[in-house]
Amino acid sequence: MGKDKEKKSKAKLPEHLQQRVDYVTCGDKLNYNVNTFTSASTFTAMGVDNSWDFRNFQDNFKIVINKLDKEVMEFDMIGVDPAIANALRRILIAEVPTMAIEHVFIVNNTSIIQDEVMAHRLGLVPLLVPPHLFDEKVAEEAPSEKNTVVFKLDVTCKRKPDGSLENDKVLSSQLVWLPAGSELPEETTCRFASGQAHLFAEPDAQAPRAVHSDILLAKLRPGQTIQLEAHATKGIGKQHAKWSPVATAWYRLQPEVHILQKISADSEVAQELMATCPGLFAADGENNLRANAARGHELVLEKLRRLMEQERFSSVVAYRKRKDHFIFTIESSGVLPPQELLAQALDILQEKARVLKEKL
Amino acid sequence: MNQPDRYVQFVLPAGEQKVSYKADTKLAHAGTFSFRSEDHTIGNLLRMQLHSDKAMVVAGYRIPHPLEPVMVVRVQTNGTKSPEEAMQHALQDLASEYELMLNEFDAQIGEVTRQADDRQLHGL
Repeated sequence: MGKDKEKKSKAKLPEHLQQRVDYVTCGDKLNYNVNTFTSASTFTAMGVDNSWDFRNFQDNFKIVINKLDKEVMEFDMIGVDPAIANALRRILIAEVPTMAIEHVFIVNNTSIIQDEVMAHRLGLVPLLVPPHLFDEKVAEEAPSEKNTVVFKLDVTCKRKPDGSLENDKVLSSQLVWLPAGSELPEETTCRFASGQAHLFAEPDAQAPRAVHSDILLAKLRPGQTIQLEAHATKGIGKQHAKWSPVATAWYRLQPEVHILQKISADSEVAQELMATCPGLFAADGENNLRANAARGHELVLEKLRRLMEQERFSSVVAYRKRKDHFIFTIESSGVLPPQELLAQALDILQEKARVLKEKL
Repeated sequence: MNQPDRYVQFVLPAGEQKVSYKADTKLAHAGTFSFRSEDHTIGNLLRMQLHSDKAMVVAGYRIPHPLEPVMVVRVQTNGTKSPEEAMQHALQDLASEYELMLNEFDAQIGEVTRQADDRQLHGL
């Protein structure tokens, strides 16, 4: 974050300070310079303006997507404060809405799994239902076609003539969506004014189902049966983790290895470094020790950290992490694609800032 | 159990104000903002954004009680702008930051998906 600030005012921080602003230094026992310098007046005495400026932010901010598939996205977010990265992470885990089973009405359950345990297991099944099609059901609001998706589970285990068992495993694929709503409106008080089939009428729309078809819900023996109705509602991870749209979302800082002084690649220290951290160190054109990009050598970096105990290594190389470069990973639970999750998280943050400003 | 319902952490109870400001009675250019149904997500962000304001003397946040969904930000400025103005600016800055981030992200996603489509098209 420091570099952008230099541009604004002509005064520059001395190199040793700039390095403290830009990097966390990883020592053998602890990390140094872990705090961020957000205060506008931190460097006033040196004539350096540390205040926030949109232009600077715009110039420095960068996103690079490294990996993107249906469930996982890894990207680099460069030029932001840890508070922003952390807010995004917190929003992804706890505030992006999804649909999950909230009420389970058990008609018959003669399996060995108890009703409440069954209900809990059902709640944790990720559902492939686009959350934007539904409203949030507020506390005592009546369930309707606008806020509830109804599933039915009706399985009985039987012994087939050949001796094998039918339905001995109850899987998430056996949850059947009821577009017309609850079949037990008296008990569930869930009455649909109209069906939900039209919401999923488009050719590429998928009817509501569990994201994964092979989640084991219960095991049955011949004669045992489970009959229930499961009502899914919209919610957020803050209320219960079952609504969290991510398996997890996390970030780490960009690691970098710097050579502090020129040493020959033939020297004992250099040879030892190259032997302990293969791939990370190499000899450059003038046969001096050179550090390659630390990304992708994560296992070796921990070995390097151990070597830092010894002065002969720590005086030659430094293991640092850039404070404003986040390697962010979003692992979706499959309910929404990860790029959609991030877009929504940013939307939620923007909306929060806007609402608070309005209410001020 | 006297624990409040989970949803009060993010649903504003009827009749409650989302944000309230109380000026400090003893200190000039100082006051506390109370945000209902907000937590560390916004608290830490605001603290960070307020700090990078030149007019800021003190900015800090706390959550007085873990069961009450209230987050409090304490602000003192040097007088060039009032705490309310500073808060307005901070929120405005944050909103514009997110807009920029979202645009940049959309551009990158567009680029990545276009490349993937190209590869598919050429049977790679």
